[in-house]
Amino acid sequence: MKMTKIVRTTADVFYPFCLVFGLYVVMHGHLTPGGGFQGGAVMATGAALLLVAHAYEDITGRLRKTAMKILEAIGLMMFLFAGLSGLLFERPFMGNWMAFTGKWFSHPVAHGPNPGDLNTAGLLPLLNIGVGIEVLGGLTIILLYMLSGIHAEKKP
Amino acid sequence: MTPFLLLQALILLGLIITGALVVAFKDLLAAAIAFAAFSLLLAIEFYILQAPDVAIAEAGIGAGLTTAIFIIAIRGTKRFEEKE
Amino acid sequence: MMKIALYSAILLVLFGGLMYLAADLPFGAPLQSDMDDYFIKNGQEQTGANNIVTSIVFDFRGFDTLGEATVLFTAVLGVGMMFRKMKEGEEYEND
Repeated sequence: MKMTKIVRTTADVFYPFCLVFGLYVVMHGHLTPGGGFQGGAVMATGAALLLVAHAYEDITGRLRKTAMKILEAIGLMMFLFAGLSGLLFERPFMGNWMAFTGKWFSHPVAHGPNPGDLNTAGLLPLLNIGVGIEVLGGLTIILLYMLSGIHAEKKP
Repeated sequence: MTPFLLLQALILLGLIITGALVVAFKDLLAAAIAFAAFSLLLAIEFYILQAPDVAIAEAGIGAGLTTAIFIIAIRGTKRFEEKE
Repeated sequence: MMKIALYSAILLVLFGGLMYLAADLPFGAPLQSDMDDYFIKNGQEQTGANNIVTSIVFDFRGFDTLGEATVLFTAVLGVGMMFRKMKEGEEYEND
């Protein structure tokens, strides 16, 4: 079962914007309101738009279950290993060793209100991206499982 | 201050109205859309109360994903509530 | 008709009680705010993030976020088990 052509075209046009806005929320999590969970939820909303508008057979080419499972596992692994990497640099688990070292994501931050620099905050952007990927994969695969369950039940 | 309070009162009134509509509708698809409107108004209220993080989460989860889950569930079952 | 009146009365009493209790609460002014003041004062300096909410959620309270991510993973695992494919000849247990 799929919706009318108007709904399908609107969903096709709008879902890239949802994905881009979600990516913006995730990447700027340490500067603006939002973060990994919120950005991942916005990205998953873009995927949900496609899933609701199209039939299950048409969508399996674009959103695959295996890819979403892998995304979810990669997100949680990224979070865990980013936390564990503090142990290599004589910091506690999840210690923010990357901040203020002068390498990636570690420019010195201006104190007080300032326009913001993407290259600050050390480990926090990595953790944000990990959680964002995990939430995107997890919430999308719940919807995909529900749709495939309906599909399998109506078939015979 | 006064127009702000007026806007807040209007949003709270809209929350009560949409919440009652969710219960009252017999068409479950219309009830799901009313619930999405409820979530959107709640997100605006959170934003007015200076909690933008919660507002983004509420708009993404409540207005987007929950409605999608409800629509998929309605697709798998029946659209109209049965009479008792 | 009697039932509706009863339910409305119970709801009204509950609503009035809640409002009476909530009227005395101080809103937006916690009694002990040492921790909040510390985070607001030193959060930007110690983590380098402009967004104080993120610096608390991912740095000062990182274990909470790890637990949240694990909870989401487990929930998805449960949904995946519920919607799994049945093997050949396997039956539902409680049909």
